[in-house]
Order: sequence, then structure tokens, then C-alpha cells
Amino acid sequence: MRTSFQEELDVLESTLQEEGALVLRALRGALNALEQRDHELADEVIAFDDDVDRRYLEIEDRIPSLLARQTPVATDLRLVLAILHVNLHLERMADYCVTIAKLSKLVPEIDPPVRLIEGFEEMGSRCEEMIRVALDSFRDRNLDGAESLVDLDELVDRANRRAVQHVLELGADPDMREYGLRMVVISRALERIGDHAVDIGEQTAYLLTAEFREFTDASHPTPREA
Amino acid sequence: MTAVFTMAPVIDVAQARRGAGPVQREAVFDIQGLTVSYGRLTAVSDVGLEIYRNLITAVIGPSGCGKSTFIRCLNRMNDLVPGARVEGQILYHGGDLYASGIDPVEVRRRIGMVFQKANPFPKSIYDNVAWGPRVLGMKKDLDERVERALRDAALWEEVKDRLKKNALSLSGGQQQRLCIARAIAVEPEVLLLDEPASALDPIATSAIEELMHELKRDYTLVIVTHNMQQAARVADLTAFFSLEVDGARRSGVLVEYDATEKIFTNPTDKRTEDYVTGRFG
Repeated sequence: MRTSFQEELDVLESTLQEEGALVLRALRGALNALEQRDHELADEVIAFDDDVDRRYLEIEDRIPSLLARQTPVATDLRLVLAILHVNLHLERMADYCVTIAKLSKLVPEIDPPVRLIEGFEEMGSRCEEMIRVALDSFRDRNLDGAESLVDLDELVDRANRRAVQHVLELGADPDMREYGLRMVVISRALERIGDHAVDIGEQTAYLLTAEFREFTDASHPTPREA
Repeated sequence: MTAVFTMAPVIDVAQARRGAGPVQREAVFDIQGLTVSYGRLTAVSDVGLEIYRNLITAVIGPSGCGKSTFIRCLNRMNDLVPGARVEGQILYHGGDLYASGIDPVEVRRRIGMVFQKANPFPKSIYDNVAWGPRVLGMKKDLDERVERALRDAALWEEVKDRLKKNALSLSGGQQQRLCIARAIAVEPEVLLLDEPASALDPIATSAIEELMHELKRDYTLVIVTHNMQQAARVADLTAFFSLEVDGARRSGVLVEYDATEKIFTNPTDKRTEDYVTGRFG
């Protein structure tokens, strides 16, 4: 048995899961900062990104070395490639959390429309669930779980469209328009976090089936083409 | 960059077997139910596969799984082992290789072999290559034949000025290429290579692997190797043999045979997966 090799793979996977847990914390922090207009919390979320980046870089550093020394094949190779991709998706998610935190500080002093803020809370909770499902499915090698992300993502996409509609209804007041623009970007950031969770699901499917396929094709939107 | 870095083309084995589709493949060997025993010991049991023309087929597997026994059947080298018994069928271009009336010497002319340890004769470089053609009466244009064989074995430039020197003065890697030149001098169709690079350093190994890529244009190659990365680098198809233990009986079996890319990215059988990922024993 190649004990040390297996240990290295285990370390990679646990670092990846840690990174995922940090992304969940960053997302929760960003949502709370937005909802509670808590600029201090927003700053913490922004600074917290360094913690995510550390894991990201650690994995990025380890993989070339592992490939060079251990030349993994078959499942091992697919696992290493999948970790490489998932790592990038998690790092991107954390960047979106930073975007949300930054924008939450820039909103003008207006009373936020309740429906919009509630919509973000709903979207954010769904994104959190998606990240959990994505990480758990990867850890448990659960294909059904990974594929279920498509349906979860559909709910986030719908909430995104609703948010945009709410923004359009905000009216022509310059402050409101500025506010609305920022809110559209936040909504878009959450929607992208959902997309990255689906991408992680695709990596899980690749790991399990050795075949890479997109769960949904943006240019030919028929969901779940086999 | 060298061709070593291009991955083996994806050959659909099932498709190759049907002989249909975009890649027309001609089976040089069709092996069915091959069982080889030495006295009461079964070395390989019930092996069936086809070997295709102008492809490199690698045979991998742990020690004692019958890899060498298997390829030695392909040119009847096992005839020379006392007590060896070969059952089943090996068709070579549709003809039974073991039928009575088949001359094993002619078989070995058409199906050449290169061994793990380079074994040049203690004669000149020239005489080593010329030996086979002379014995077989291919004496016409002997100099050209020797040169062509040495060129094909990627050795000509290194030895052309010292053809009369003793072959044992060559380096290990050069001796192995000389053995390949000797094997191809008699214009075989198939080259069997039994661990041809396991005693060589990485540079000589790379030269042999590069040479294999060149040779497959004209020859069909079967290579036994312990080095899985070597199989992954050079072979189009890979056959994985394993040792089956049933009580006191042990014998080599063919576990999986597929495109090399498939074997090393997504093998079908768990035993193959365990072997290629190093999770055996």
C-alpha cells in the first residue's frame, strides 16, 4: 500500500473541506452584514478572505508536487484533478462573499425594501444549502446528491430573477437607482455562488463516473441532458 | 518535444474487435482459451485476447502473473522449455500457430523477440546484425540490410564508424538497441519485447521508448513491462494480468484488456484499479 500517498490525498481533501467550511462562514457573515447594515462585520468578512486564500494556495502548492512525485492514475488521478477544480470554485465563491460585503458598505442611507432583503436572505440560505450539499456529496462520493444541485440552483436562479424585478420597481429616484444597481450585483453574486456549487457537483460526478459532463448547458438550456 | 509526450491514441477495443468504425484494425493474433502449464503448475489460465497490427500492446501485472509466459507463447519460445504444455488456440493471421507442420524457426523469424538483458553475441556489431539473415540465407545486399536494421533501431549514427568493433564494447542501452536491430534484420512482422528497458537508465529507456513509437509504423509490438508508467507512455492497448490464488492453486489470468488510456484513467475491474493505483498487497 502506498500509505504516504494516501495520507497526502487525505490531507488535500480535508484542507478542501476546511476551505468549504470557511466559505460558508464568509457567506453567512456577508448576508448578516448586508441585512443588519453592519459595516464592521463586512470588514471582517473582507479580511477573512485571507483565511480562505491560504487554504486555496496550500492546495494549489501541494498538487503539482503530488503529481510529480506520485504520478496518480485512475481514481487517484480523477480525485486530484477534481480537488484542483473544486478548490478554484470555492475560492471564487469566497470572492463573491467579499463582493457582497464590500457592496453592503456602499449602500446609500435609505430604508431597504423589505421584500428585497428577505429575498436575499432566502437566496443566501439556499446558497448555503447548496454549498453544504456540494461539499457533502464530494466527501461521501454521492452522485445523487451532486445531481440534486441542479434543482437547488433553479430555485436560486428564480430568486435572482425576482430580485431584479424588485429592483426595477424601485423607481427613478437617483439614490434608489444607485441602491438598486448595487443590489443587482449582490443578487448576481449569490446566483454565481449557486453556479459554482453546481460546478462542484459536476466534479463529484466526474470523480465517480470518469466522464465529465455539464449538468446543464447554458447555451442549450435543457436541464440534465444525459 | 518528443513523441513520448503524446498520449496513446484512444483505440476502442470493442470496435477494433468488430473491425468496424473509423479505426480499421487487423488482428495479428487471435488467442482463445490459452492455458500454459509447466509440469503440474499452471502459469496462465484461459487467456483470450486479440493483438492488433501496428499497435503497441503492453502486458502488465505483478510478478508471477504469467506475463512472460504469455508472450513466449506468441513465438513458440515455450517449446524450448521442458515440460511446458500449451492448451487453447493461438491463431496467427487466422492460422494455428501450434499446428503440426508449422516450423518454429520460421515462426520466430516472423515474430522476433528482445529480452530484458541485452544478449549480443561476443562478435562484431556487424556480425550480430548479419547473423540472422546469413542463417536464413538472406545474403543478398547484406551490407544494406545491416545498415537498414541499425538505422531502424536508431543505432546507425552511433556505430557506423565501428561496425567491426566487438558488440560487447557498446553501452547497455546501445546493446539493447543492437538486439532490436538483430531482431528486425530478418524482417519480422511482430516484435515481442520482454522488459526491454528494465536494466537501462532513464536516457537509454527513453531512447527505447522513442524507438518503439517509430517501429510501430512497420511492426506490431507486444511489450511486457513492470513499469506501469512505461506502459502508459508507449502502449496503445494494455492487458492487465493478475495472479489468481485458489487454495494451493495459483495461476495467471487476464483481468482486463482495453485502451491504455482507459486502463489508466478509469479501469473497469477493481483488481486493475488496485494494481495501477498501487493499492495491492
